[in-house]
Amino acid sequence: MYKLFRNAFIFILIVSFIIAFSGSYASLSMDNLAYVLAIGIDTSDENKLEVTFEFSTTASASETGSSSKTTPIINSVKASSLSNAINLMNSYMGKQLNMSHCKIIVFSEEIAYQGISDEIYTLINDTQVRPSANILISKCRAKYFIKQTKPELEGLISKYYEILTNSSKYTGFIPDSTIGNFFNNIICKSCNPSAILCGTNQTDIANYASQNSEKDFSIKASETQLEGQNNTESIGTAVFKDDRLVGELNAIETISLLTMRNEINRFLISVPDPIKKGNYLDIYLSLDAHPKIKVDTTTSSPYIKIKAKFSGRIYSMSDQSSYLSPEVLQAISNSCNSYLESTFSNYAYKTSREFQSDISGFGKYVSSNFFTTEESDNYKWLDNYKNAFFDIKVDTSVNSGMLITET
Amino acid sequence: MNTSKLNTIDAIMLILTIVVTHTILSLPRNILLVTKSASIINLIYVSIITILIAYLIFRLMKNFSGLDLVDISEYLGGKKLKTIMGIIYIVYFLISSSILLRNFCESLKIIYYPITQIKFIILLFIVALCMANRLDFSATIKTNSLILPFVLASMIFLFFANMNKFVPERIFPILGDGVFNTFGWGLINIASFGGISYLYFLPPLLNEPQKMKKISLISMGITAIYLILCVSTLLFMFSFFLDTNEITPLYNATRYIEFGNFFQRLESIFLLFWILAVACYMSIVSKFSMKIFQKITKIENKKELIDIFGFLIFAISITPKNFAISEKYETEIYPYLVIGIVFVLSISILILANLYKRRKKSVQKEEQHV
Repeated sequence: MYKLFRNAFIFILIVSFIIAFSGSYASLSMDNLAYVLAIGIDTSDENKLEVTFEFSTTASASETGSSSKTTPIINSVKASSLSNAINLMNSYMGKQLNMSHCKIIVFSEEIAYQGISDEIYTLINDTQVRPSANILISKCRAKYFIKQTKPELEGLISKYYEILTNSSKYTGFIPDSTIGNFFNNIICKSCNPSAILCGTNQTDIANYASQNSEKDFSIKASETQLEGQNNTESIGTAVFKDDRLVGELNAIETISLLTMRNEINRFLISVPDPIKKGNYLDIYLSLDAHPKIKVDTTTSSPYIKIKAKFSGRIYSMSDQSSYLSPEVLQAISNSCNSYLESTFSNYAYKTSREFQSDISGFGKYVSSNFFTTEESDNYKWLDNYKNAFFDIKVDTSVNSGMLITET
Repeated sequence: MNTSKLNTIDAIMLILTIVVTHTILSLPRNILLVTKSASIINLIYVSIITILIAYLIFRLMKNFSGLDLVDISEYLGGKKLKTIMGIIYIVYFLISSSILLRNFCESLKIIYYPITQIKFIILLFIVALCMANRLDFSATIKTNSLILPFVLASMIFLFFANMNKFVPERIFPILGDGVFNTFGWGLINIASFGGISYLYFLPPLLNEPQKMKKISLISMGITAIYLILCVSTLLFMFSFFLDTNEITPLYNATRYIEFGNFFQRLESIFLLFWILAVACYMSIVSKFSMKIFQKITKIENKKELIDIFGFLIFAISITPKNFAISEKYETEIYPYLVIGIVFVLSISILILANLYKRRKKSVQKEEQHV
């Protein structure tokens, strides 16, 4: 009798578990999910938001790994909030939206100027959204940006989104701006967030003649003269103060930002040639060590000392060049120093005076000047950053050319 | 050698289990909330004090070889004190473990089982607990000794894998909310070393009771290193744990681990280890509770108690109406319970018992002289 009772109890328990857990299992089953690869968030006239979702199709993620290109599904919905938009799309698609493979979240400039903290908090609260998803600020509508993104080398659009920021390691043209970091910086009391600036190609190709070395580095997204199948580009940084967009940085300013944050491996710059006046030399530079940053907070105008050390090699080569002479190399190094000092200084004062936003994270060096959090908070770093003064010293050591040293 | 008794490693692992499971949930964040950027300094300070306390406990229990706290209470105050201490510890163990189980299951529900009712997720652990307790105590302990090294290793991995995202400057301002908050009020972080409570009940279970000193000091040392690693990971990685509340802060840190495009989404492995660790913790706690209950009631057959204790844990776990209530216990009541029961009450009993024993001895000596 006891055995019968025990077996019946075990049977009931197993059945209860099957019933209880089958719901969760079914809700997480691939058959019932629609995988979102990209989210675009725009403002809308009638409602607050227009949210665009880009979905992966079964064909675009075939098991064979074939790289045949498929047109992704792009749907948009207007709703009062992001969660309501997701809910409406769930209903429309007949499947539950799953964000675990969402690689990019695009906000239009328009909505970014109004503030995006609500959307960021909602997304970070979702267990499916990866902290590594990138935040992009589009100069055009986010919906248009997503529609115009047509990767040329990648069959899978998800793969393209995943490697979107990879080139930054050797160009320095876009910052690392994951939603995890963005959220961290929104909450942070001593820094401000930044995001990747993106847009569509718009510039007229006929303007090529006016291009020069300096202009090559002062470009931003939607200002380049790129032509290709993919109509989108990501160059530059969107600068935020708290959760609101306050300005943009171009390519060379983004390099400056990444240098201050020590988030760049190497980058190419064009510096005035000290030997042939009017010419520019392209030099590959890499940071030798983390820039030394000290912040003096004895007055309400912080005094920020930055020392950065680079080593470089000359990349561009022309007729009658001689890069084996120590004097020439020293002159090129000096040219690099003055160019970088002026560039970094312009960048630093721009973030301080114009944007009043510490996206470089100088604030983290301030805390060490105080013993307690109260003293540190009382200094009101983010308010005082606009009064900051910078002393920037660059020490570059240009070693030689690469394969050719003399012509 | 008695295989049903604990060897040194098993005993150390047992004590560590308690800290490890609490660390999975809100413990590191609680430490950060109290002492902010001074958390690491505070933990070093608190660790030194705890190691000294562990040594004090060893010295105080040395005079009662082979006896646990309940036996010592009986020696000091008779059956009444024995029963009171027994009940206090049973209630403490059951409530702490049940609320921890509830909070952990809430996290599991959010992450993996959005549709399943919380009671069924809790019930899974209760079934595991009841099944494990039907086996010999050494089975639970050996399983725990097998699983815990993986959990400890995973935490070390978590620390090093996220190192490239660390901002070491977050350790400043070095004194956090001030000297008093760090070294005075910050003493409340001593509650993080709740595993010390099991030192009181280990002596009768040990294969080699003479190694009690080694067990006490090593377990507290590893606990200190472990806590410093966990708190450092959160402090250096995130600026937001001081202002926002996350259900499982360390789980959040695991989501950031990535090695290129290939090696991603490791949080599932961490959760698997944590689920196993929590299951071990539950069976250990219920086993200790039953042992104390058997001692105070003299019930011989433990099998009758297994389901009752399982049911009790289940009932306490589902009692809080929502997560806010169970979280409140974990953050606002649990630390004071640990300090009150484990550090103040129990050590007082041990000191009084030692004084009583010394007095008794001196009286005996006087009588012999007379």
